[in-house]
Amino acid sequence: MIDTGWARISTDAFNVALGAYIVSAVAYFFHLAFRKTPVWALGLVAASLGAGAHVVSIVARGIAAGRVPWGNMYEYSSLLSLLVVLGYLIVVEGLYRIRTLGGFPLTFAVLTMAVAVSFLYVGPAPLVPALNSYWIKIHVVAAIAGSSLFALGSVITILYVLKDRAERRAAPAPKPIMGASTELEDEVAPYFEPGADEPAALVAPARRGILPSAEVLDRIAYRTIAFAFPIWTFAIIAGAIWAEQAWGRYWGWDPKETWSFITWVVYAGYLHARATSGWKGRRAAVIALVGFASLLVTYYAVNLWIVGLHSYAGV
Amino acid sequence: MSSASVPRPTLRQSVALVWRSLRSMRTALGLLLILALAAVAGSLVPQVGVADARIAAMFRDHPLRAELYDRIGLFDVYGSWWFTLIYTLLLVSLVACLIPRTRALVRNLRTRPQPARELETMRHYAERTVPEPPDRAIASAGRLLRRRLFRVRSSGGGGRPWVAADKGLARELGSLLFHWSFLLILVGIVWGKGTGFTGRAVIVEGQTWTEAHAGYDGQIREGRFFDEDHTGIQIQVDSFRATYRIPSGIPKDFVTTAELFQPDGTPAGRVRISVNHPAELDGVKIYQFGFGWAPVIRVERDGEPLASGPVVCTQGAPPRGVSPLQLPWDCVVKLPTLRPQVGIRFELWPDVRGLNALLTTGRPMPMLTAYSPVLTFTAYRGDLRSDLALPGNELDTAAMRRFDQGAVGAGETTKLGDGLTVSFPDLKRYTVLEIKRDRGLGILLVAAILILVGLLPALYTSRRKLWISAQPAPDGRGSLLKVGGFALQRRPQFEEEFARLVDTLAPPGRAEGGRPGPRAAGPRHPERTDAERVRT
Repeated sequence: MIDTGWARISTDAFNVALGAYIVSAVAYFFHLAFRKTPVWALGLVAASLGAGAHVVSIVARGIAAGRVPWGNMYEYSSLLSLLVVLGYLIVVEGLYRIRTLGGFPLTFAVLTMAVAVSFLYVGPAPLVPALNSYWIKIHVVAAIAGSSLFALGSVITILYVLKDRAERRAAPAPKPIMGASTELEDEVAPYFEPGADEPAALVAPARRGILPSAEVLDRIAYRTIAFAFPIWTFAIIAGAIWAEQAWGRYWGWDPKETWSFITWVVYAGYLHARATSGWKGRRAAVIALVGFASLLVTYYAVNLWIVGLHSYAGV
Repeated sequence: MSSASVPRPTLRQSVALVWRSLRSMRTALGLLLILALAAVAGSLVPQVGVADARIAAMFRDHPLRAELYDRIGLFDVYGSWWFTLIYTLLLVSLVACLIPRTRALVRNLRTRPQPARELETMRHYAERTVPEPPDRAIASAGRLLRRRLFRVRSSGGGGRPWVAADKGLARELGSLLFHWSFLLILVGIVWGKGTGFTGRAVIVEGQTWTEAHAGYDGQIREGRFFDEDHTGIQIQVDSFRATYRIPSGIPKDFVTTAELFQPDGTPAGRVRISVNHPAELDGVKIYQFGFGWAPVIRVERDGEPLASGPVVCTQGAPPRGVSPLQLPWDCVVKLPTLRPQVGIRFELWPDVRGLNALLTTGRPMPMLTAYSPVLTFTAYRGDLRSDLALPGNELDTAAMRRFDQGAVGAGETTKLGDGLTVSFPDLKRYTVLEIKRDRGLGILLVAAILILVGLLPALYTSRRKLWISAQPAPDGRGSLLKVGGFALQRRPQFEEEFARLVDTLAPPGRAEGGRPGPRAAGPRHPERTDAERVRT
């Protein structure tokens, strides 16, 4: 039942993906700092190849265990990081055509995978009866998709907070006149070529060019979270339906249930805050980050330290 | 102005004030976050029904703290008065927000788009010339907008023709649907829990069990509005099978095979009940919950049976690092009719190799299946203390004295003192089924679907308004179209939509006379739209 050949392929491909992501993250950060298009291309290619290897790793794991490859925390972490990388490639690189942010989601993926392989690894094994249901395909996939998007949104929110701070600090310059700062980047850039002796006052706007403008970051973060929220809602509903079948009750305040509910409530608060005057911008960003912290608790702490029915989904 | 001159608010005013503050989004937001905090407390402190053992441990180790926690309801957060208060306030606040919003939506749905003047001052504005005369230009613009699913209102005859259009009421509709559905969830929970019950049935292989209050042996929780309408259905358990993966001992499946009967005794089919696959009959769901061993034990004196039949054995919580599979099972046979009374405590080893391993190596071995099972026993004589009303599997030996101990293998008979004999003719399994009725499930499913259905338009559509007016072109050929509009959400998208729409109304190349519109389609106030992006 456990095919060691496939298990081996899965582990090797996982390591290849992890290595490629590290290369990619370094390249993206280099590009962020020095704006070298070939380095960006390297980062993109490495991330894409890594994602390819990652897909191979996950599929091989599924074949090795003879079931869906998201039955324990190692597998869940692996799939989560793959989806964060794919989400980044599709949403940020593909839709928004922003090339500078890659280092952040890839670092997240690298950290998640590193934690998974060092602390959470277990060999492929069949599922215990309670997990053996077609709902594992629906509930867990929705949960992973939702959390990977939340993770991506939170990474961008952190960047927004940093950028927003930098902008506020740097800018007595009235923003409305500046227009979209993304468009300005190309015009401003020549001032800061090495050797150009510009007065120090003009250096501050130079730092503005490193990331997309706070507005753009904020918008991407919001869109990502607003996209993730219904998926997360669906994951909770699917979980309740499954719990009703497996444990005879749809909601029992099991720690995993409780924390997924807390995460849901906090993100609902975030979406409402965006629509409330006085809560936009940084305050809403803080709520989003609280939501992400709660997501991490839902994901790690509940399985590792708090005993509950989901514990056997365990490490 | 002195404070004395300020009149004290009347009761009516105070109520209005509270109602107003409940209606504000900030209050709702605050309550939502408080609810999250309360739930955090519930996940950190062990909860009744989830972690009873840990609560007991806390009462033992830190009695003062445990007492305090118990007083303020921290062991039962989700049933505590303050948790109820938070979510009740939240729901009241929700309703307070929803009623005026629903009214406004109904009003909005009834009224048709309103005409507007001064299209030039709107956030998005464009002028284009088209070859058709104004009336026809407006008629075709109206058709275009209807095709794009706008609600359209056209001017009547006379005057300068115009159309007013809007789109995106689905956003508010979805949002309201989403929020109202939470009340439906509450209804589903209260109705389902209130009129339902959850109980546990312990059934030995070969026995038939009837769904009635007495059948649960006290292991049942009935809802507040439950009026003893137990169904009377019958479950005849043919067999129970627990299978494990070898050698890991990871459980593979737990399956009860049973025959179900309607209350009147007509067969209702054979079912396999396993984890994730409950059976259902007469609105009652039957779940696989647990299992155990039930040795058939016969105690006789001088050939006359004193006790005979399967005895349900149970297990205590295993110590850390030990699997329950490694432990023997405990059961008790009481003989209250004898003088002095006799009680026998049994330990069942379903696999004799488990007992042997413990005796020879001191290490227990997992017992996955029955293999020459053995009962070890200790017999006591004295007072059974029947007045204590102990459960059947507990024996209080405080007033008793041990008089014999030994072992009996399957199919064997052994002698105790006093002319008693114990035999162990057969070993059976019992299954624990969770029996449950919840009539709220349908309501909850509908509410969950409505939540999702409402959420999508509420998050992804936007409300936008558009006006077009037409007048004869200044050069006398065709007409001049003025298009103005704005979006309340997702403004960057509307900017593009607006530009595309204007281009469709009057394709840039089609304008005869070679005079393009004086202003290109696009944002009227670029600096403002830029700032608006933050909000969308």
